[in-house]
Amino acid sequence: MRHIALLTLAFSLGGCAMGSLFISYPSQMAPVKQALSSQTPLAPLGDLAKEIDSQDGLLYAQEAGRVAQVGGDFSASKSYYQAAIAAYNRFDDKATVSVSGIGASAGSLVLNDNVIPYRGPGFERVMLHQYQALNYLMQREFDGALVEVRRANELQDLEQKRYAKSKDSVKAMANGTVDAEMDRLGREAGSVTSSFMNAYSYYTTGLLHELLGEENDAYIDYRKAAQIFPGNPFLEQDLVRLAKKLAMPQYDEFKSRFGDAKLPEANDGEVILLLERGFVPEKRAITVPFTIHDNWQTVSLPTYGGSYGQLPPATISGLKTPLTTATIANIDALAITALKEDLPMLLVRQAARVYAKSELTRSVESQSKKQRNDFDGAAIAMQIFNVVSEQADLRSWLTLPRQAQIARQYLPQGEYRLSIGGQSHAVQVQAGAATLVWGIDTGNNIRFYSINIKK
Amino acid sequence: MKHFKLIFILAASLGLGACQSKVEYGDATEVETVNENFGSTDLQAITSKMVDSMLTFPPVVAITAKERPIIFVDKIKNKTSEHIDTESVTDSISNKLLRSGKFRFIDMTKVDTVRKQLDYQNNSGMVDPSTAIQFGRQIGAQYMLYGNLSSIVKQEGSTKDVYYKVTMRLMDLQTGLIEWSDEKEIRKTKSKSFLGM
Repeated sequence: MRHIALLTLAFSLGGCAMGSLFISYPSQMAPVKQALSSQTPLAPLGDLAKEIDSQDGLLYAQEAGRVAQVGGDFSASKSYYQAAIAAYNRFDDKATVSVSGIGASAGSLVLNDNVIPYRGPGFERVMLHQYQALNYLMQREFDGALVEVRRANELQDLEQKRYAKSKDSVKAMANGTVDAEMDRLGREAGSVTSSFMNAYSYYTTGLLHELLGEENDAYIDYRKAAQIFPGNPFLEQDLVRLAKKLAMPQYDEFKSRFGDAKLPEANDGEVILLLERGFVPEKRAITVPFTIHDNWQTVSLPTYGGSYGQLPPATISGLKTPLTTATIANIDALAITALKEDLPMLLVRQAARVYAKSELTRSVESQSKKQRNDFDGAAIAMQIFNVVSEQADLRSWLTLPRQAQIARQYLPQGEYRLSIGGQSHAVQVQAGAATLVWGIDTGNNIRFYSINIKK
Repeated sequence: MKHFKLIFILAASLGLGACQSKVEYGDATEVETVNENFGSTDLQAITSKMVDSMLTFPPVVAITAKERPIIFVDKIKNKTSEHIDTESVTDSISNKLLRSGKFRFIDMTKVDTVRKQLDYQNNSGMVDPSTAIQFGRQIGAQYMLYGNLSSIVKQEGSTKDVYYKVTMRLMDLQTGLIEWSDEKEIRKTKSKSFLGM
């Protein structure tokens, strides 16, 4: 009787999070990702949107927003992202110790971590605003785009503050230094700044500031991006150019390090390419079975498997001269670091859960039956429940790209046909204007979206 | 039995979450503190400060003593990190200024609609030419009212501080001189509660 009550409780607690409670999140998302690289990217939107009211609404809103965005429906994407932003704000407003939070933690003790409502790591939240800014930009709502950019900047500052205490490279960022040596040392120590700070976000916010006429703000963001991800030639050029234009004190230093700024000719426009490639890797579960007091138990922890090799740069033809993209951020590295930082709390909850589940089993098992070596249905049912319900928390924003690359070029005004690996896109270049081309490579095809902005 | 108690407490705490909701009317000028975002109280505070300041500024009093100057309102530029309808702020301000009886306004947001209407009256052949309003009879504005709304947001632990500053200016279009300028500052601090639902 007692164990039935316990099971009922466990299920009712999980009721809202049924989505990823027993079916792993990556396998739920597999068809969505498949659709994104097919000709009907928007097909799974309906199913995703239905889940926005669930416990993990935040996660599904992020995915739905991204799916709509990749498919080119920017206004739908905007409203999905809005739902995700609202969900984050609700989390912010929540009391430090809340009844619903305790309920979820209690649920996670008897079931698994999937009962806890999803809340993404810092970099996902920044990317949400970065993508929302691009939605506004693509719809030519420039004021709205700048609002999102500033919101992203605020969140980036929070992230920066979080790391500034422990990491020297981030401390240097606050002083506005672009220090390549620090990063070289970091790479050897296996703790590069780019594995916990997102240079792509800083580059996008900087780019939007620049395109919409706030060059001073752009310079600040570019400088931070260059500190996080040194060695990107396009970013270095941006820095020298803006330092020269704004007569910044760092101009001489940047000039000697990166070469002098190349400026456009009278009839030149500019093509700026943001290229997002692949999908961020999925979490995988490691499951270890063992026995406590002769009863079977398992622990199941999320991890990222194997090594994810570098994606090669893309070659762009059809512009003035062939152009090779340069990486600005590895989102996979950010995801791995985010999981690493979560692990201590995860282990604490895992230990508590193993204890709780083993006590539950002992409370239902009959000592007399055990002594007589009889069939104890209750104890066996409880053990089966324990093993089945022990599912690693594999949730993360899976439609994010794995890597972001950039390229920029000045070229005379006119019509061009930009092409990457056989996929092409017509771009119009106007003198004195910038053409932002946003390419999203989902494996089988690359989708291009572009917008002309008069500077 | 111990477990039953635990289950009961958990179930009860979950059940508490389902409180019923209701709708009621409130006072539109009531102080609103639902959250730290830009809200109606901020809008009202900005409007009343700006209108009072402008109507009592001695040079502006001198300008409006003999005639009702014509103003056009440029938008207030939103430089905050929130999506704020700044047109609503300028609407409130121009509304109050107009109601004071000291200024006249030109609405730049309706120029296209007016042009369409005049085009219809003059060129469609549907309207009696003697009653059609001619192009080029409108009166030009003498002054421009414009402004900026910016914010500084700081967050540390469970405290969030939001500071808003609105600056507004009145420019004489002929001379380019700023005839009036003022700013309104608003500070809001939110501290997250430790215990809650």
